[in-house]
Amino acid sequence: MATADVAIIGAGLAGLATAVRLAEHGARVVVLAQGNGAIHWAGGPIDVAVAPGVDTPAAAVGRLASNPAHPYAVLADDVPHALGWFGSLVAEGDLPHAGSPGDPFRALPTGIGGTRPVAIVPNGQAAILRPWDPGERLVVVGPAGFKDFWPLAIAASLRRPSVWGGLDRPERVEGVSVELPGLAARRNLNALRIADLFDDPAWRRPALEAIARAVDATGSGPLRVGLPAVVGCRDHGAALRGALEVVDRPIVELPLVPPGIPGIRLYGLLRDALRARGGRLLLGEPVVRVETDGRRVLSVATSAAARSYVIRVGSLVLATGGIAGGGLVGDPDGRIVETVLGLPAEGPPIDRWMTGDPLDPGSMPIALAGVRTDGELRPVDPADPGAGPVFDNVRVVGGLLAGQRSLAERCGDGIALASAWRAAASIATGGGGAVGTAAAVPAPGGSR
Amino acid sequence: MTASPPTAVSTTLDARIAWDALVIGGGATGAGLLRDLARRGLRTLLVDRSDLGTGTSGRYHGLLHSGGRYVAKDPNAARECIVENRVLRRIAKFAIEDTGGYFVATPDDPDEYVDAFREACAASDVDCHEVEVAALLRRVPTLNPAIRRAFAVPDAAVEPWSLIDANVADAVALGSRALAYHRVVGFERSGERILAARVEDVRSGTVHRVMAAQVVSAAGAWGGQIAAMAGAQLTMAPGKGTMLVFNQRMTDAIINRCHKPGDGDIMVPVGTVAILGTTDIHVADPDDWAITRDEVDELLDEGEKLFPGLRRMRLLRAYGGVRPLYDPGETGTESRDVTRAHVVLDHAARDGLSNFTSIVGGKLTTYRLMAQDTADVVCAKAGVTTAVSTADEPLPGGEHGQRFHWLGGRLAAHEADGGGDADLICECELVTRSMLEEVLERRWPCSLDDVRRATRLGMGPCQGGFCTFRAAGAVADHAARVAGSQAEVGKMTATAMAEFIRERQRGTQPIAHGRQLQEALIAAGFQWGTLGLDSLVRTGGGGDGNG
Repeated sequence: MATADVAIIGAGLAGLATAVRLAEHGARVVVLAQGNGAIHWAGGPIDVAVAPGVDTPAAAVGRLASNPAHPYAVLADDVPHALGWFGSLVAEGDLPHAGSPGDPFRALPTGIGGTRPVAIVPNGQAAILRPWDPGERLVVVGPAGFKDFWPLAIAASLRRPSVWGGLDRPERVEGVSVELPGLAARRNLNALRIADLFDDPAWRRPALEAIARAVDATGSGPLRVGLPAVVGCRDHGAALRGALEVVDRPIVELPLVPPGIPGIRLYGLLRDALRARGGRLLLGEPVVRVETDGRRVLSVATSAAARSYVIRVGSLVLATGGIAGGGLVGDPDGRIVETVLGLPAEGPPIDRWMTGDPLDPGSMPIALAGVRTDGELRPVDPADPGAGPVFDNVRVVGGLLAGQRSLAERCGDGIALASAWRAAASIATGGGGAVGTAAAVPAPGGSR
Repeated sequence: MTASPPTAVSTTLDARIAWDALVIGGGATGAGLLRDLARRGLRTLLVDRSDLGTGTSGRYHGLLHSGGRYVAKDPNAARECIVENRVLRRIAKFAIEDTGGYFVATPDDPDEYVDAFREACAASDVDCHEVEVAALLRRVPTLNPAIRRAFAVPDAAVEPWSLIDANVADAVALGSRALAYHRVVGFERSGERILAARVEDVRSGTVHRVMAAQVVSAAGAWGGQIAAMAGAQLTMAPGKGTMLVFNQRMTDAIINRCHKPGDGDIMVPVGTVAILGTTDIHVADPDDWAITRDEVDELLDEGEKLFPGLRRMRLLRAYGGVRPLYDPGETGTESRDVTRAHVVLDHAARDGLSNFTSIVGGKLTTYRLMAQDTADVVCAKAGVTTAVSTADEPLPGGEHGQRFHWLGGRLAAHEADGGGDADLICECELVTRSMLEEVLERRWPCSLDDVRRATRLGMGPCQGGFCTFRAAGAVADHAARVAGSQAEVGKMTATAMAEFIRERQRGTQPIAHGRQLQEALIAAGFQWGTLGLDSLVRTGGGGDGNG
């Protein structure tokens, strides 16, 4: 039978970060996932927290942590460590990020002509962290015919001061469509296809020259160039350097409707980091069975194609996400079901799952649903949290943690990374099912 | 559906024209009436407070009745249905998917009803024959295997918006007009006559004076409100029906319960989805179609009797419509017991208003007959004796030789035109960039919801989650081309997105569980989180000028 010190279920940011960190602690880890995680939808920025009336993510974390039901009540102290570690990891992988949780929020324009508050962004968006100079323009440039990026609409929308939410903004915004080589006849252009093209130095060069000409044609004076976030995928580092050189202006990659190329870049980096540290990643392997003995998980079984694969584990980490990620299902009878272990989950009553104006992020109280844990991120029964963990060798990370309003609080990435950091430390230091204990686990009884 | 004829809905009003007739209400009946009156030589103007087909006509389950549903209780209505069913199959093939239908007897349905069903059909001339249950289960394997008997009838699915469009186009070609987003706010009377209607352009707020010799209310459930403005007495008994949309066609034929009509007993495959209908609840306000989880539960309970496991199938949304029921007599009748037949009310006799007529009751299947009966009354008053031709002349796009709408039609058209690599704006419903631009071109100014009715944009599984932003981009490009300052374009685009997402999401709220709850949260996650949708709808920040 295969063994692992730790099996992590879920290949989003929380699961992959936990796995990489555990591997750094020397654990033999395996990540099992039904499919790609929500990281493939991400637009670049690392969202740590926002809260009304505060102007840095760090202050917002403090605010959220004052609510004892919020994950940050447990994780706030881990945030700086986790972000510091993450910063080194992405820098090593040629995807450096800029900014820190103590920096003031800036408004990053998006591919629908909105903005979102950011403080930590990948290099392709770093130019937005600097204040706008007087007279400086934002020129939004997109490939003609790309259905997920409409420069005219984006620019028209970004000219409305209200869109910038009181944050610093450029004095002028312009939108330009530009024909890129070989794309005029193509239909159904999507972000992945264009990002692939940007990975190719031979295509990239004339494309960037066309963009540079279009930018120059808008006039002189200081400006930043807003491009769709498609400037390379596998070879983004080189593509971005090429773009900065040819266009010769600061570049800001605007997040798009999914798929999220910046998220896919980050996914690739984490996957490679995991493999480099000896970890394994099995996609398309949903966990179909878990064998337990009292308060311990003994093994997990996945199912792919025509065979079942059983892995004996020392610890299990659930990084399956909330409702959106599929870690929880809200069934038609109003129960909130945790999908791997059937852990007790909490959440609002069914008549309050979605309510009110759909354009208010508060209209989805169901986002609060999740699994409650102790300080070591072990699951507890919300009806009787004092009774101790339901399982001693299970940790819950990321979106599955109860009590976060990830839409309104923009705290998903911060919680993913801080909980990954905490779970890894907890497992590595022996808080139940420590590293290297898989062999010490009693032999499994009958499968269930 | 795919072969939608060009519409000619106007956007502006020339108040100098004196019309032969004014039709109030742009549902199927109003559009049919516009066509009928135009064909009899009356230059007619139709106005609707919203887009055409946004009231009851656009909010029903999509069933073209064979009449089977009414054979036991309302043979008259049944007979009208089958006659009109045959007519529409002749004149409006583009709007009809010839699914066929079945009445099936579940173990819950009383024998007396089932045993009498075929004879009752025969008495109303509704084509009906019993089929082998095993054969039906092979055709519709999702159906309850405990079904005892099954009867085939010529039910079909009918798409309302292309039908309305075609009626309008036919009338416009004869000099009549239809105006969306124009609301009647009052009438000018002189003794027994209505001299003019005051019609407000709801987008600009301008009120026009519309002169018309005859005034006809085809406002359906809103007929009482129109009559009151004219000083006439008309009490409607609006009955709300709630419908559930599933993201799959678990049946390609229409399935009805063979019992006394009740809730949740019809499943209609329409386009890429299937719709379970309906409830029937009396409401005081025809604009009240709020839906509760309890109603959804009740529908699912009933639906389970036809399709076991239905509760676990993915729901896309719930919506409600309000039946234009008219209760001439005593109050307190159960909504379902009020007749489905239509009534033409001549307000000359009732209220001493010589040139005002209302059409109430009825159902989409009989819209043409309703229009014809109404036009008969109106033409008699106007002294017009031209013969009726609406049952014989095909609608534009429905000329002889055309085939019925079929599910694969749109895909086949794309493949014929570019190998299936069309520039798709809405992947769920195969709406291309050129289709969208064509609608914007002829309907501008219009909302994405108007575009939806013309193209089915956003009606599939993602419920606008992705395509909203693409379509809004096209709206901005169009707006920038035709008019408006840049600031207006920005605001217009944001409004288009926000309204559409709000409208689509609202339908999800009462059914949000399982996969569609997940979909809603995923969509919210990238709309709010990744894209900052909230920044588009907030106000403040120094006004909306060009910064």
